[in-house]
Amino acid sequence: MIPGLLLAALPLAAVTFNRDVRPVLSDNCFSCHGPDEKARMAGLRLDTRDGLLSRVKPGDPAASPLYQRISHANQAMRMPPVASARTLTPQQTGAIRQWITEGAKWETHWSYLAPVRPDPPKVKNRRWVRNPIDQFVLARLEQEGLAPSPEASRETLLRRVTLDLTGLPPAQAEMDAFLADRSADAYSKAVNRLLESPHYGEKMALHWLDLARYADSHGYHIDPHRDMWPWRDWVIQSFNRNQRFDEFVVEQVAGDLLPGATQQQKLASGFNRNHMINFEGGAIPEEYQTEYVIDRVETTSNVFLGMTMGCARCHDHKYDPISQRDFYRFFAFFNGIPEKGLDGTAGNAAPFLFLTSSGQEQEMDALRGDIKQRKEAFKEKEIAGAQAEWEKGWKEPALVTAGILAHWEFDGSLADSSGGYRHARMPGREPEFVAGVLGKSLSFGEGSFVTLGRIAVPRNGTVSMWFKHTTDKELPVLQGGGLSIRSVDVEYVPDRKLGAQLEIATAEGTWRTKDRFLFNQWVHLVWHTGSLHIDGKPAPLVRTGGGRAVDGPVEVRGFRGQMDDVRLYGRALAAEEIDALAALHPAGNVIGIESAKRSKEDKDRLRAYFLARAAPAAMRGQHAEIERLDARLFHLEHLIPSTMVMQEMEKPRDTFILGRGDYRNKGEKVTPAVPAALPPLPGGAPANRLGLARWLVSPDHPLTARVTVNRFWQNFFGVGLVKTSEDFGSQGEAPSNQALLDWLASELVASGWDVKAMQRLIVMSAAYRQSSRVSPALLERDPENRLLARGPRFRLQAELVRDAALAASGLLSQDVGGRSVLPYQPPGLWEEMAFGGTFSMQAYKLSEGRDLYRRSMYTFWKRTVPPAQMAAFDAPDREKCTSRRPVTNTPLQALIQMNDPTYVEAARELAARTIRTAGPDPARRLQWSFRQVVGRAPDAAELEVLRESVDRQMAIYRADPASAAKLIAVGSSKPDAAMAPAELAAWTTVASMILQLDEAITKE
Amino acid sequence: MESSLHLTRRQLFARTTLGLGTAALGELLGASSQGAPHFAPRAKRVIFLHQSGGPSQLDLFDPKPGLRKLFGSELPDSIRRGQRITGMTSGQKSLPVAPSVFEFKQHGKSGQWLSELLPYTARQADRIAIVRSIHTDAINHDPAITFIHSGSQQPGRPSLGSWVSYGLGSENQNLPAFVVLLSLSNTPNNDQPLFSRLWGAGFLPSSYQGVRFRAGADAVLYLHNPDGLSRETRRAMLDSVEKLNRMRSQASGDPEIETRIAQFEMAYRMQASVPELTDLSKEPASTFEMYGEDARRPGTYAANCLLARRLAERGVRFIQLYHRGWDQHGELPSHIRMQCKGTDQASAALVADLDRRGLLADTLVVWGGEFGRTVYCQGKLTETNYGRDHHPRNFAWWLAGGGIQGGQTIGETDDFSYNVTTDPVHVHDMQATILHCLGIDHTKLTYKFQGRWFRLTDVHGNLVKRLV
Repeated sequence: MIPGLLLAALPLAAVTFNRDVRPVLSDNCFSCHGPDEKARMAGLRLDTRDGLLSRVKPGDPAASPLYQRISHANQAMRMPPVASARTLTPQQTGAIRQWITEGAKWETHWSYLAPVRPDPPKVKNRRWVRNPIDQFVLARLEQEGLAPSPEASRETLLRRVTLDLTGLPPAQAEMDAFLADRSADAYSKAVNRLLESPHYGEKMALHWLDLARYADSHGYHIDPHRDMWPWRDWVIQSFNRNQRFDEFVVEQVAGDLLPGATQQQKLASGFNRNHMINFEGGAIPEEYQTEYVIDRVETTSNVFLGMTMGCARCHDHKYDPISQRDFYRFFAFFNGIPEKGLDGTAGNAAPFLFLTSSGQEQEMDALRGDIKQRKEAFKEKEIAGAQAEWEKGWKEPALVTAGILAHWEFDGSLADSSGGYRHARMPGREPEFVAGVLGKSLSFGEGSFVTLGRIAVPRNGTVSMWFKHTTDKELPVLQGGGLSIRSVDVEYVPDRKLGAQLEIATAEGTWRTKDRFLFNQWVHLVWHTGSLHIDGKPAPLVRTGGGRAVDGPVEVRGFRGQMDDVRLYGRALAAEEIDALAALHPAGNVIGIESAKRSKEDKDRLRAYFLARAAPAAMRGQHAEIERLDARLFHLEHLIPSTMVMQEMEKPRDTFILGRGDYRNKGEKVTPAVPAALPPLPGGAPANRLGLARWLVSPDHPLTARVTVNRFWQNFFGVGLVKTSEDFGSQGEAPSNQALLDWLASELVASGWDVKAMQRLIVMSAAYRQSSRVSPALLERDPENRLLARGPRFRLQAELVRDAALAASGLLSQDVGGRSVLPYQPPGLWEEMAFGGTFSMQAYKLSEGRDLYRRSMYTFWKRTVPPAQMAAFDAPDREKCTSRRPVTNTPLQALIQMNDPTYVEAARELAARTIRTAGPDPARRLQWSFRQVVGRAPDAAELEVLRESVDRQMAIYRADPASAAKLIAVGSSKPDAAMAPAELAAWTTVASMILQLDEAITKE
Repeated sequence: MESSLHLTRRQLFARTTLGLGTAALGELLGASSQGAPHFAPRAKRVIFLHQSGGPSQLDLFDPKPGLRKLFGSELPDSIRRGQRITGMTSGQKSLPVAPSVFEFKQHGKSGQWLSELLPYTARQADRIAIVRSIHTDAINHDPAITFIHSGSQQPGRPSLGSWVSYGLGSENQNLPAFVVLLSLSNTPNNDQPLFSRLWGAGFLPSSYQGVRFRAGADAVLYLHNPDGLSRETRRAMLDSVEKLNRMRSQASGDPEIETRIAQFEMAYRMQASVPELTDLSKEPASTFEMYGEDARRPGTYAANCLLARRLAERGVRFIQLYHRGWDQHGELPSHIRMQCKGTDQASAALVADLDRRGLLADTLVVWGGEFGRTVYCQGKLTETNYGRDHHPRNFAWWLAGGGIQGGQTIGETDDFSYNVTTDPVHVHDMQATILHCLGIDHTKLTYKFQGRWFRLTDVHGNLVKRLV
């Protein structure tokens, strides 16, 4: 069903094939009588001129087999058949009948013909016209007997255009300046100012990120982090510097292939690396490498061509002239990337680019070469041989038993093996033992609680233990007997993995480690009053406080993870003894295991020990040098951001047609080419991505410019001129105003692909400036505003809902770009679903300070658990290219606006700002805060409702100071201590109400 | 749950009265033109107990006593038939047969075979139908679980629950139509991760996505008023906001504002209805005897089974549980024991409890994972210890209630539980059958996206007639 049909009075004045007939045939007939050769029935196709007209007698529906069959009285004879579950409505058969009656004029599908720049049509009401857009819009309205709406109020207009061009509401000062500027070009000047704002690029990028399926995680399975934010920042900056759109396209599709490509151009090609990436254990690399390429085909064809090429993965397209062969020839453009099917365990997947400054690149290259060479020279056979020799001669190290007070080995029991009978106890549940460092270890789950013993750690005593900390929370590790060990200050360490410091308190003082240990790995600790060894090495400490008594028995309560080989000594340990506990004993333990039974962890531990400590001197030296070089490379790699890019293999992969789209069913071998139904690559153009990129933006291409201006239009009006902005094919909607679409497309090309000029053109039009107020009659007539007899009015997109609240409160950080951040989110949302382990971004660690208040487009986007506030407001999950978002209205959205600390804190800060700025008069405060949020002053009736709320809520909080104190404490920023808590609380609730208004989250 | 798209319902109804066909308007929304239910449903709602990781059919539902003799022998090529296996065992030099260490017995009047690991489920033998012959196309967790819940191995499609809530809507004005409950492993390994796409709406409007109900005070995100803001104050604030919104509605003429007012009201109602739902304090002691003491601890599988019953009582359409911990590549005997100890009683209690309350007749309960496990051992094989890799070629689910004929086992596998020998049931067939129980013809529940009419079962799926 197409709006042309819906909107026009029935019966139709005149039918046109492309608008009224083709969509009906496409949706109901093409799957059996269309482009897919294998599925074609009775040898009949209705998607071509010859095929269709063979079944039509122009002027005579009754004599036309097409009409006979669709209107047949006998259901068994009527098309489409019952089994297809498709039926034609009377309107649809009527349209086909009328089309035949009127002469059955064939038209090639509109979008495959290059647009011809139409002259703007003549209109009656010439005074309304501000630029050619208006002639096209008004001509249609006049044809429909409708009049445009009056221009929106100046407040509404400035708020609308500011939201549209920057994604932020106007500041009151900007509003005041605009209202005060009575010059004829005041609006034009405002538009120019907004186009120069750094936030313009952010707003434009916001839409692009949905298309480019941008995210900060890999998306499949374990879903750890990736770093594509440099690419995201490149997009913002490209829009801000008004890069020509054709260049913008070429650099993203093939920036790496440009002659003498700059670092920025290579970076831009990351567009085609934003797809999901997998490394699930056991997955088959070829299967996923194929999926990545398919995603590139689907995304590229959707974003630039408005085509649904993905449908031709398994068979010829059912509706559009894209054969399966076309699909795989297009696939071949993107199949030559030196990528691995399974990759991304540690951030970016190859190929990626370090965004180095000069010199660093050479150093990294040299290091890599050096390491590779040294590793090659380091023969596994020799090492294994030397290690085996050494193992034979291994002598058990001396047990460190002198002065031992207690020793819990946890090898399947809680017994104290020191001879002191201080057996541990685990009340109320069975202890669980799992593989540890030395045999088994004790596992601590939720609520596990172990009393090690009623024993004090003497002042000069020592604790030695292995532990593995498996949650991301601060936890008590060991408590009692005069000592407390806790993990504190959880933070991301390199690679976005979590770790924590240790805090140790005794009667003598409190200390913290300078460095963080990593979660989910075994750590060895030796503590002796004021001195700590981690993994056998002295760990730098900072004294952070005085001593405190930590009485009671030694307990492990609240810890989550594992512990092994816990020992208490009544004396200090010598360096050799610490070394024995941290290194010698674990190595010896592995040697004690029959080699076939050693776990990978065991083997790695032993190998590391051997190479570092026991190997022949030359081997040790080689190993140490590799370690040193590796460390330097690791340092550089974590200092310098990287971003994934496209690149061509020296010898490209062969591409085959894949039967049913399955990587295992290889058919005919194919080479890169564009779909046969579209214009060919220009003569001499290389059949590679660069050729493809230039073809996409060739001036006479029928699709790219149209698809692009349609998306711009969609951003402003909510619906594109072609509503199905992702599908300009046969199943897509015909344009509501094709002349306007074609004119805009040709204008974009003629302007030199000037993106800012196009945005300017649209917002300067009278069509855009109309009031969005709608009468019931017009709403009935045109519910989706396709005729544009009024201005757009719709809810802001997810990111802007939050940004608007932060902006009104003054909390918003206006920083542009950078690493993605982690603002407020209820605890546990990630952790309940994540794999955990030593992978990155499995746990959510709240950002701090300004990073809590960045624009929402900088929120870390984890695909398997997208940001909760964004998902509730219809943001896509960014797994696939998304061309338009739905707009739903749900109670979950209401709950966010009511209770999410983001909004409660923003309300408090808005209240505080109001109190500071507007003086003591409640009416002035209300006017100020209302205007701060919605851009206009409240009218008398609105003011009255708000006044009642102020009085009521003031009374509530004056009578209940405790509640006032709680309410204003929400959020990590501190409430203004100079303000009376009851007053601030009452005004917080009022600000919260204003932020909840429909108008607050709506562009009018 | 109520929601609105660009066109509100009011607009739709208004247009319908003007004489335009509802089908046409449905299409304008991208909605199916085929109204569901398509025939009289047997089930009004579904509780899907997904056992994430892939439970071993060989140790639970598919007894192969003959394998004891073949302990440690190589899996015959005539059985493997060159089928692909995962990268985790494809490098193993040997694929030795690992017989189950668990005993199987027949249970109930129907005499269904179940292993000693499932004593509680065994008592429900006559109520459940076991399907031993399910097979899937995927061999790894991410694609396999995505396939079960969206009909596609690759992301992007709507989930089963979102299709159902799109097709049938809600029966409760105070709770979402599609609720998701998660619980963690009973073993030391927390495998496998979950993804929100498993209950996502894909290309359906996002209001059809599942709503995660979490353990703890805020079962629904942001449910509670901030500290210091009472329910009475909230009521007064909402009343005033409504007045202001209504003024704007008058001024702008946009009917979307009325919808927003209604959504805020529903949010307010949920602030009462959800805590009432999750408050188990009024459940009698007998409930906890039935589900086990674990049901008192929020967030456990048992507590989620109990919550599932309470959600079913309140008319929630699709209740989706995910329980992790079944991915037993190693240490299978001890880990599956822990896992069954944590789930068997509650799963069985749910069936019995629904039956006791007269709800089982119109509630479909489904128990199953994304694939099964191999007969050959992964890692070291001993008399008492083994691991099993992923096995897509046959695995077992059970179903109960909602029109399912209980007390029967469908499908047989070969002597190695490696290939289906009779009555193969593809994942798409199970999806078609679940929809059938709800009165939905799986070929008619469609949605147009990117020019194509999509459905849960793609172009596949046949009703498993013997089940219903």
